[in-house]
Amino acid sequence: MRNRFLITLIAATAAFTALRAAAHHSFAAEFDADQPVDLTGYVTKVEWLNPHTFFYIDVEDENGEYNNWAVELGSPNGLMRRGWTRNSLQIGDEVNVEGSRARDGSYKANARSVRLSSGERLFAGSSQPDVEEDAN
Amino acid sequence: MNKHSHLKLAAFAILAAGMGEATAQGGGEHEHEPGPPAPRFDDGLIDFGGDGIWMQPWVRVMRDRLVGREEIPYLPWTEAMQAYNQETRVAYDPQGLCLPPGGPRMMGTPYPSEIIQDQKGERVILIFEGGTHVWREIHMDGRPLPDRESLNPTYFGYSVGHYENNDTLVVETTGFNEKTWILFDGTMHTDELRTIERFSRPNRNTLHYEATIIDPGAYSEPWTVAWDIPWSEGAELSEYICQENNVFLIDLKDEFGNPFFERVEVEPDWPE
Repeated sequence: MRNRFLITLIAATAAFTALRAAAHHSFAAEFDADQPVDLTGYVTKVEWLNPHTFFYIDVEDENGEYNNWAVELGSPNGLMRRGWTRNSLQIGDEVNVEGSRARDGSYKANARSVRLSSGERLFAGSSQPDVEEDAN
Repeated sequence: MNKHSHLKLAAFAILAAGMGEATAQGGGEHEHEPGPPAPRFDDGLIDFGGDGIWMQPWVRVMRDRLVGREEIPYLPWTEAMQAYNQETRVAYDPQGLCLPPGGPRMMGTPYPSEIIQDQKGERVILIFEGGTHVWREIHMDGRPLPDRESLNPTYFGYSVGHYENNDTLVVETTGFNEKTWILFDGTMHTDELRTIERFSRPNRNTLHYEATIIDPGAYSEPWTVAWDIPWSEGAELSEYICQENNVFLIDLKDEFGNPFFERVEVEPDWPE
């Protein structure tokens, strides 16, 4: 029961925060706020590009198989205003991603926050409470 | 925990999330320090600049920003299209294609901006970090607003402006094309659109923005929206080129599941 409540809370929080993601296009058309994901894996590729930064991580599933997930962040400018640099993610880093999965069920997610290999958790250009932080 | 309290807690979680959203949405109520009085030029004219930039909020629901009325005076087709755009999760938003935001939406799309007032009083330039590296030019030399039929329709239209009491920049714009939405929520317009925007700076840290939408092709009467835009002291604009890697388009599908843009395998035709 406790677990179920946690999931509900996560779903509700995701519904709230996910709306802030990806201001330049429709978040809801692509991602499902009702499918929260919590992924830990190793960075395989970084695309520090406009309009949105992407990076890719190998994540082990319950069968011990590795899947390569594409993770969407905000724009490089928006990330830099939140404390990221273009060197924050390096190939091979172990990171954790909280976000929402793509509607089509593919291995793609829109991140709300990322815990870097340094242990620092940064918002992904999507969920800060004040207006300044709304800029993607 | 029994089932009942679980439901109650879940309801509270959803309510709390909803309230957070409502607070973030309401016009001009974002918590920020009003700061000292707004800067002024030597002649007393309000100065919209300084060492900083304006940080637009993400205005997502136009109806929440209405001034003096409860409902947007839609014509049947704009009402139906707004509902359709919501049902399709605003997937067909022109801004998703990296096209410019258009008039009032520029001030409600969460990328920062600067307002530069020409000291000769002839022009005001609005620079916007988002979109496609876009700006707006407002003619302040007293020229009249041209007839829209004489203009080539554009994303931002043609703007003339004047100051009211040294405090408010009033901008009138016509000559819009029909390739933008008025807002993210799927509120649409025609090329009959004319806007009257009012920019004021009640204190250093607040830009008050108001826009009146006049479009007999889309709405039965003029209607007005307003919101506040906070100042970020010491911040600067950065380069942002939306078209660089807009992979959203590759995966974009219409409501029948067909991709908007097809991937085509091309056989390279190398010379022997």
